[in-house]
This record gives sequence, structure tokens and C-alpha cells, in this order.
Amino acid sequence: MKLRFNRKQLCIPYAAFLILFVIVPLLVIIYYAFTNGEGQFTFDNFVSFFSSTNTIGTLIYSFALAITTTLVCLVIAYPTAYILARSGFKKKYVLLLLFIMPMWINFTLRITALKEILTAIEGNIAAYPFLNSVIGMTYDFLPFMILPLYTSLLKLDKSLMEAAQDLGASKARVFLRVTLPLSVPGIISGITMVLLPSMTNYVVLDMLYNSTYIMGSLIGSYFNAYDWNNGSMISLILLVIIFIVTLVTNRFSDKDDKSGREVIL
Amino acid sequence: MKRFKRMLFTGAALSLAACSALPLFGCSSESDVITLRIANWEEYIDLGDWGEDELIDIENEFTENPEDGVFGENSMIDDFVEWFNSNHDYQVQVEYSTFGTNEDLYNRLSLGDVYDLVCPSDYMIMKLVAEDEVEPFSSEFFDTSNEYNYYTNYASDYITGIFDEYGWNQYAACYMWGTTGIVYNPDKVDNDSVSTWNILRDEDFNRQVTIKDNVRDAYFATLGIIHGDELLALPAGDASAQERSDLLNDTSDETIAAAEDMLKEIKENVYSFETDSGKADMVTGKVLANYQWSGDAVYIMDEADGDELNPTELWYSVPDECTNLWFDGWVMLKDGIDGNDQRKEAAEAFVNFLSRPDNAVRNMYYIGYTSSIASDLVFDYMDWNYGFVFDPSDEEYFDEELTEVYEYDLSYFFGDGYSLYVDASVLEVDTETVEESTRLLGEEYGNDIEYTVYTGGDINRGRQLFAQYPPENIIARSVVMLDFGDKLSDINQMWIHVRCLDLMDYNPVVVGIVAAVVAVVIIGLVLYHFRYRIFIKKYKPRKGYKIIQS
Repeated sequence: MKLRFNRKQLCIPYAAFLILFVIVPLLVIIYYAFTNGEGQFTFDNFVSFFSSTNTIGTLIYSFALAITTTLVCLVIAYPTAYILARSGFKKKYVLLLLFIMPMWINFTLRITALKEILTAIEGNIAAYPFLNSVIGMTYDFLPFMILPLYTSLLKLDKSLMEAAQDLGASKARVFLRVTLPLSVPGIISGITMVLLPSMTNYVVLDMLYNSTYIMGSLIGSYFNAYDWNNGSMISLILLVIIFIVTLVTNRFSDKDDKSGREVIL
Repeated sequence: MKRFKRMLFTGAALSLAACSALPLFGCSSESDVITLRIANWEEYIDLGDWGEDELIDIENEFTENPEDGVFGENSMIDDFVEWFNSNHDYQVQVEYSTFGTNEDLYNRLSLGDVYDLVCPSDYMIMKLVAEDEVEPFSSEFFDTSNEYNYYTNYASDYITGIFDEYGWNQYAACYMWGTTGIVYNPDKVDNDSVSTWNILRDEDFNRQVTIKDNVRDAYFATLGIIHGDELLALPAGDASAQERSDLLNDTSDETIAAAEDMLKEIKENVYSFETDSGKADMVTGKVLANYQWSGDAVYIMDEADGDELNPTELWYSVPDECTNLWFDGWVMLKDGIDGNDQRKEAAEAFVNFLSRPDNAVRNMYYIGYTSSIASDLVFDYMDWNYGFVFDPSDEEYFDEELTEVYEYDLSYFFGDGYSLYVDASVLEVDTETVEESTRLLGEEYGNDIEYTVYTGGDINRGRQLFAQYPPENIIARSVVMLDFGDKLSDINQMWIHVRCLDLMDYNPVVVGIVAAVVAVVIIGLVLYHFRYRIFIKKYKPRKGYKIIQS
């Protein structure tokens, strides 16, 4: 007997995975989010999220941390990616590798090492919780910013820049009017890949002794206190926020330019 | 598609069948192999594999050859299985898992994980008992005539007395116990600072003290600060026990509100809220003081002593206000035992095996905590560990310069007459109340040094021995922290207020301006993005014409 699969059958493992680990948990979250401890339908969790200055404060703090991290990543990554993509340096893959290599090491190990480095530099790291969290997250997510930028800059058509120069544009003008606009899709996919995970990556904060909660730790603390309902509601709201952010950023990204993501995902 | 559906259905049916059949196999083993599902704290049992130099050289009556001493060759769990299977007519196997916090365990139980025997702390035992989840021990378990009932025969009367007071004895067998206090570096922290919980908010130690990252321990220390004056004014001892307990189990709304403010102040002052990192930070010297459980304190002091790069002598202090007397105990769960007598017998045998004095010593050595077992063997182990060396032939440990001895009274735990001669320099005894005498103590070894012997007096700070067995003046100010009960959600909410950024802490004008700026920026971006649709009118063709889409 010959073993033959059609396409639909080949989907089964993924379908099973999807149902078990994505759809079902999502339904469970929605169920808990809209019920109270006794299992009755309620909007209380929703109301209490938006009526508490603590949860809103945490949301703002998470955003502030995530946006700062993203900006820092962008500021560091753009010149790096630009130089890497533009240079005729033959060994540039070695350089690129150096930036990507930390990704191969587990991030908790990297943060543990970072803790020691920061202690050596700052003395007492507990005194700068916000700064350290930004440094830690930047350390973690920088490769995710460099790679999409690098790929989008690499495939820029050089003749466009030459044309701009021929028409008398200065170097700065070429960059601002040609290179930068054409690399926007790379910037956008970099931002999505840094902004969203850094909103919930509370392990970095824990390890670097930032004792203020962000969204991830807030959800964890509710679950720890056996409060599945409020915890689920916060998760759900976070999910919606992430969904909105993704929708917005997707509008900007080039439809054919998925190269940046393909490298990583 | 039909085919696909049918396949999915078959798959679902198969997995359902498999799921429902599993428990059947589990239950049908009335006479075959019993699987005992145990959940314990992480790193809370001897896993064996000791180095040869780790042999505890004391007479061990529980092995074939008492001269062999106490040694952890295999893991305690394997030893239990071997021991149980050799003296029962049915077999047992152990499914051992670990948990990180009581809440973690409770969540797992409420999600449907099934265990036969678990080891939660005092308040969680209370909670589980109140929810009727706990299977009481059988009457055979308390039969003192059975020599295998090691727990009943060897557990300290002090521990069972306290368990009796709270009505836990029937349900729980104490495994480890201890106090809470502060580990500190005596070179850099003075005694006055470390003798109060106020050290957590002491600006002299700004960002150099850690606190536990769990609401119960943090709340306890905060109560110690809030009710500090009242606690210090209470007379010591049993007479004030109830009052002290009330003060430290105070969950009134005003106290919770006061604790919130206090914890916010502490948050601004401490180095970190830590779950595990505090140990390493203390040993490496990143912090000067560290809120700890006594067992971890012993571990930290041992580690700091043996640190190769930078050996430091750390001490443990119990603040003058109060200390949390805590217990971890084994309880059987109704869901797991499920009326199966053999399983229950096996679970009780496991508790008894851990309570066998030599095994208690092995666990104490391995994890640093203090066992509830009070037999001669455990006392010998303490003597082996901390006892004063009077024998001049013991070249490694004898030091003729040491002439100050403290007689450490352990009678409350081990029974009358049990006191240990230890080096007086590892304890800080209150000089006003201590009694001093001069005695010859090493005569049996031909040692004629006249020792200065101290007895009595309050001890508030000390090293490992002090952390492992608190002296009676510490016991007198210790309190068992009960379950929060109905107030749990209020206190958790308080904790969230402490840990989250609160908009109310900021000037409302500033918050308003920032919010307005952000709103303007977002609206601006949206308008900019849709500028063509909103501001530029669509070209309308004249009548009779239409636009041809390219």
C-alpha cells in the first residue's frame, strides 16, 4: 500500500496545534474574562480595569518602557544596518553574525551577565530601575530591529540614489528623500517586533530589580492570587491593544516586502 | 472535507477514550503497584550523591552498621521506594514533582492536578483543611508502639504542641520549621539597625537591603514596623502571646491602608523584591542585609563562609519586634488518596521515612533547614556541626585560644537536659542578663584549660546555630501567621497598589497635560494618515459621465 497524503491531510498536525494551543486557550481566556468567581456573566472585570488608576498607570508605564526601548533600538540599529548594507566590506557577514549571535544564547543567561556588567559600571543597579530595564530590553531585542532594517536597506535599488545625486541632491537630501522613505517597511517591521514583546517581558525587569509592575507581571500577580477572572480580562485587553498596534503598523508596511520578517520568523 | 472531518472526529474519539481509560488503569492496582504522587518545594529534599568528604560521622543506630554514620548516597525518594518495597507485600513507586510557591501549588490543585501527598506551609494547610481537601492521618499513624511510626515517636513535643494548639496534628505532619529574620554583614551594618524591621526603610541602607517578593512576608515585616511600639511594649512570653498574635494577624482595613503606605516607602528604599536572587546578591556582597527565612539564612551564611574569592562572615538577626514562626508540613489530599487504603498507608510511610532521624539529618544537611524531628541523632548532628571541641587530639578543629563557651539551651525542643556547648563568639548574648562561670570541661580528653562558660541571657543575633534553633527569647516573640481568609483579596489588591505605578501619586495637572499631548499626537497622526479622504473632496464626474477604474 502506498502512503499518500493530500494537502488537507497535511494540515492536520497544524490544525490540531492551532486548536489545542491557540483557539481553546483563547476561548478559556474570554470565558474567564467575562465571568466572576462564581461563574456568572459580568462586565465587572472590564470596568475595574478602566476604573483603576493602577492598571491604567501600569499600562502607561509598560508603553513608556516599550516605546523608549523601541526608540533606543532604532537609534542604534539604523546606523548599524545602514553601514552593514552599504559597505563594500567583504567580511560584513561576520559583523552581521556578531549582532545576531547573542540571539542563540538564552536570554535569561544574557541578562544575568548584563546584571554583572551593569553592577560594574553603575555600582548599585537598583538605583536606576527604568534605565536598566531599557538597557536590558534593548540588549534582548536589538537583533530583531537590525535584521529587518538590514534586509530592507540591502535590497534598495542603488540606481535610485545615483539618480538623485545626478539631479543635484546633497548626500543628506538623498538619505532623507530616498533612502529613509524606502526603508520605512523595514523600520515598521522592526518596531512591531520590538514594541510588542517588550510590553510584557517582565522577566527582564525582575532580573534587573525593577520592582514596578508592567502588564506581564500584573497579570502574573492576579493569577498568583487565584484571581483568574481579572487576570484574564487584562490579558484580553492586552491582546486587543496588541492587535490594534499590529493593524496600524501593517498599514505602513510594504505589501511585497516581507523579507525582514522572513529572516526571523 | 468530509474525510477531514471524519478523521478529526476519529482522532478526538480516540484521545477521549485514552483519557478516560487512564484513571481506570490507575485505580485497578489494588494489589499491584501503588503510584504515590508527591509534590514538594524545590530543593527541599536530599537528592543524594554526596562527596566522600561529606560523611556525617556520628553513630547512626538506624543502619545495619552504626559506625557508617549518616551519608546520602542515593536520593531520598529512591531510598524510600527500596525501604518500602522491602517490608511490604505490595510495591510502591513515586511520582515526585516540585512547586515554587504555595500559591503555585494551590493553583495547580484547583486546575485539577492530583497529588497524594503535598508539603505546603502553615497558612496553606489551614486553607486546604478549611476547604475540606485534606485526608486526616489514620489512627495507626499515631500508634507509638509501632517502631516504624517515626514521626509520632520522634517529632518534637514543641512542634506537635503548636500543631495541637491550631488543630493541625490530625491533618499535617511538620517537615521543616523556622523563623524569619535578617541576614546581614556585621562589618557594615550596626546592631541597632538590624534589630528592627525598620531597616527595610532605613535610608542609611538605601538600595542595599532586599525584601521578599511575596505579599505575606512583606506584610508581616510591615506589621512589625506599624505595630512596632505596641509589640516592644508587650511583656515577653506566653501571657502576651494572644495579643502579639492579634497584632501580627491584623487585617483590618486601616492597617491594610497603613501597610500600603509603608510598603510604598519600603519599595523606594530596598534593593529588590526578590524570590531567589537575594541569596546570591548577599553572598557576592551586592547588598548588605537581606530579609530571609531561617533555612535560607543558614544556606547563605554557609555559602559566604566558603566563598573562594571573598569569604565573608555573615550573621542572622531576629528583629526585636517579632518574627514569623513558620512550618511546612506534609498533608494527604482526599482527591489523590481517594479512599485507597494502600495508597494512604504508603503516603504515611513516606512521612515516616522522612522522619526517621538519620533521614531527617540527611535532609537538614542537604537543604539547611531545621527538621521537626527531635531525636538524639539530630542532637548529635547539631553537636557534630556546632559543638565545642574540647579534645586536643582533634588537630583540625581544636583551638586552645578559644576559651569562651556558651551553653546553648535546646531543652524546649529536644527535652530536658539537652544543651549544647558552643563557641561563644558565634552568638551575641545580652551582657546584662548572662551568667558567667569558670569550669573545666575537657577533663575526659586530658584538657586542663579553664573555660569561661556563659549560660542564659537573651540572644538576638547569631550565626548558623542561632538560625537553625532559635533560643527561647526568640520563640517568646514569635507568631504564627494565619491564613488571610476573606481579607486575601483586599491584601492582594493592596500589593498591586504597591507594585504598580499609580497615577494618583502624580500631580493631576501634569498627568492631564501629558495625556492631552499624547491624545493630540495620536489624533494628529490619524488625521494625517487619512488626510486625502477627509480634507480633499472627491472628484465628482458630471452627469452622464463616469470614472473608469484603471
